[in-house]
Amino acid sequence: MRKIVQKMSMLLSMIVMMMVVFQMPVKAAPAEDMTIIYTQVPQDWKEPCIWAWDEDGNNAFEAWPGETMKADSSNEGWYYAWVPSWANHVIINGNEGNIQTEEQILEDKNTWITVASEKEVAISYEQQTTGEIPEYVETFTVHAKVADSWKEPNLWAWSAPDGTNVYDAWPGEPMTEGEDGWYDMEVPTWVNSLIVNANNGEVQTEDLSVDAAEIWITVEENGSFDFTYDDPEQKEIGTIKVRVMAPTDWKEPNLWAWSAPDGTNVFSTWPGEPLEEDKNGWLKKEIPGWVNSLIVNGNDGSVQTSDISIETGKDVWLVVKGPEEAEVYYEEPQVEQQKAETKVENKKNDETTEKKNDMTIVWIIVAVAAVAVVVTGIVIVKKKKEN
Amino acid sequence: MKKMLAVLLCVGMTVGLLSGCGKSGKQEKKDDVTTITIWHDKEDAVAEALQEELEKLEPEVHVVLEKKSDLTEALKVVGNDPKAAPDMYFFAHDKIGVYAEMGILAPITDIIPKEELNDYMDMTLEAATYKGDIYQLPIYYETLLFMYNRLYMTDEEVPKTTEELYAYMKENTQGGHYGFVEQHSTPYYAAGWIYGFGGYLINADGEPGLDCDETIQALKYHKKFVDLMPGETEYATVNTLFNEGKAHATIAGPWLIPTVKASGMDVGVAAMPIIDETGNPISPYTGVQGIQVLKYAAENKSEAVEKVLRQLMEPDIGVKLAQASGCAPANEKCYEMEEVTSDDVVMAMKETAENAVPMPNIPEMDVMWTVTGNLLTDVNMSGKDINESVKKAQKEAEQLIENMK
Repeated sequence: MRKIVQKMSMLLSMIVMMMVVFQMPVKAAPAEDMTIIYTQVPQDWKEPCIWAWDEDGNNAFEAWPGETMKADSSNEGWYYAWVPSWANHVIINGNEGNIQTEEQILEDKNTWITVASEKEVAISYEQQTTGEIPEYVETFTVHAKVADSWKEPNLWAWSAPDGTNVYDAWPGEPMTEGEDGWYDMEVPTWVNSLIVNANNGEVQTEDLSVDAAEIWITVEENGSFDFTYDDPEQKEIGTIKVRVMAPTDWKEPNLWAWSAPDGTNVFSTWPGEPLEEDKNGWLKKEIPGWVNSLIVNGNDGSVQTSDISIETGKDVWLVVKGPEEAEVYYEEPQVEQQKAETKVENKKNDETTEKKNDMTIVWIIVAVAAVAVVVTGIVIVKKKKEN
Repeated sequence: MKKMLAVLLCVGMTVGLLSGCGKSGKQEKKDDVTTITIWHDKEDAVAEALQEELEKLEPEVHVVLEKKSDLTEALKVVGNDPKAAPDMYFFAHDKIGVYAEMGILAPITDIIPKEELNDYMDMTLEAATYKGDIYQLPIYYETLLFMYNRLYMTDEEVPKTTEELYAYMKENTQGGHYGFVEQHSTPYYAAGWIYGFGGYLINADGEPGLDCDETIQALKYHKKFVDLMPGETEYATVNTLFNEGKAHATIAGPWLIPTVKASGMDVGVAAMPIIDETGNPISPYTGVQGIQVLKYAAENKSEAVEKVLRQLMEPDIGVKLAQASGCAPANEKCYEMEEVTSDDVVMAMKETAENAVPMPNIPEMDVMWTVTGNLLTDVNMSGKDINESVKKAQKEAEQLIENMK
């Protein structure tokens, strides 16, 4: 009976969990719900960033290492970033995420974090800096890809028709070159007009009237341009199929997938999404083609491979033999069919057993209820007879 | 034999119990003229406000609110059975004609004199009227709204006319973003354009108007807006485009507002643009939510029914519902209260409602949704000739209505 109760509790828990997952709200952060996080880091932590999330695993930023923190010119050695107040789990990191603190759980208020080392962190909710706290400015990212002859592109940004400029003087601020060939720049959301220029302002586009949303602008040598609000790199690659052979004792294997080094995740929460059964004993999952890093895990994420690097845009076969042993193929390899069959057979057996157990529970309930009511019925009849 | 019957009965009871069909608390009401059962299909906030208001009648009248997800179908089945039917039901006005024709409804003017309904907006009483009788006590109404994302469209940029809207769409539909989106090929949404031209889907006499000149003009004019919107016209797609910041503005129901606010959007609501061609605003359908009385209850529990109706005529309930769920009260007196006038969404609905058209409440309307939907698909998405398409749709609608007789 205890087992029945346990089973039913598990079923109920699963239903509740599914309801919670499907009802998970989209996370957004109105300006009034932001908190400022200040940090001081050791001198050898270059370009400190903050990574933040909530207890349900919702990330505040799209990709590791998170938001680059700005140096506070009025308080030497202090950096700051604005974080949605719901994202109260944070990690401070530096050197492009190669060095980091442990997870810090914060209160919902402005915070000053002093990092002495990866393990030594002091948190204060009393202002440790001098002067006024900087104003929060919501921003969006402008990406630009320019012709080869356009050197050191700058962005000039303003609000029309009032003519408020973001930068003090033409040609604006230099855009940051990324590894993907795009130049990037954050601008405030009150901006609705842009000019991309280069060669110290000698070449430029005409005015672009834009929405305050992440945008990708492609600029030709003659200054003509096209733009889109959908990431063109992601659209071009399409999807790939990942096929996995996992150890038989890894129950319900999941796939976790992302793009390195930017850290853009495919799935919102660990351990990712379950792999589905495919032919020949393989498990499979279709994911965006821009993914170049994978982890296979099982037993609800408690066992996993280390990071597996793959080529983008290609279907891939992974033979996982253990946490530290995974082979990568770009054509279907010849693997021991027995193993594959055994695994699928085991899975089928498990499912059958589960189903049998579930059906048994249902039948037990039906039988108990039926017996109880039948007995009651007979008693009623007997009573009638007595009367 | 008795044993066998008892066992069968018990097995039946068991199956009923296991399949969740067990009912309780229903038998008490029919014998008790002070207990009123009201079926409804409303969200919790609305139901709780109603319950709280009606509890004021205790102990003289005990009101049981029962949520029924299949309310309209259930009423068709049990509406004539006093033992199974509710005493009253709370629902939109557009099914009144069906139930009045079935003979299960009592005009509320049998219980409340008509002159006591003078505080209600004309539009809501018009919606409640079928063949000259008022069958519903209106409580609140819903209508579509013009909504915009203030991140992209400032209050000053909100188009006052459809030509301004068109110019805005041309300027801002690019790069995967849209200046304006709507469910352009869904009859409920397209109706606003058709009625704004003086056209109609069906008139009070049950005659389809798909091929009338005004409807044809509306379809032709609307098409140029459709050409600047995505081809996909489903509810989820359109609302997602707006919610995710890929569309600057939309026409949608007030039920979308909590969702977009939760996603962090600074959403504005405004009056419908005026159609330049006619001088009328886009005139969407409106649904009036209210309470209907079943004939058996009106005849056998008139005292309790009257008390329930009079309690719901108090302006308090309109104010409570406006605060709880953004409902626009049907009772004009509510608009004298600051709690209501300070609500932008409610006031925008009131402004829109001045030109909104009550959804037809005649039974023939049932066939018009599908026929009009097909017509809109032909015209907007398949590029078929408008004149030929309307002729075909009109003929089909007339045939289907004829079949109902």
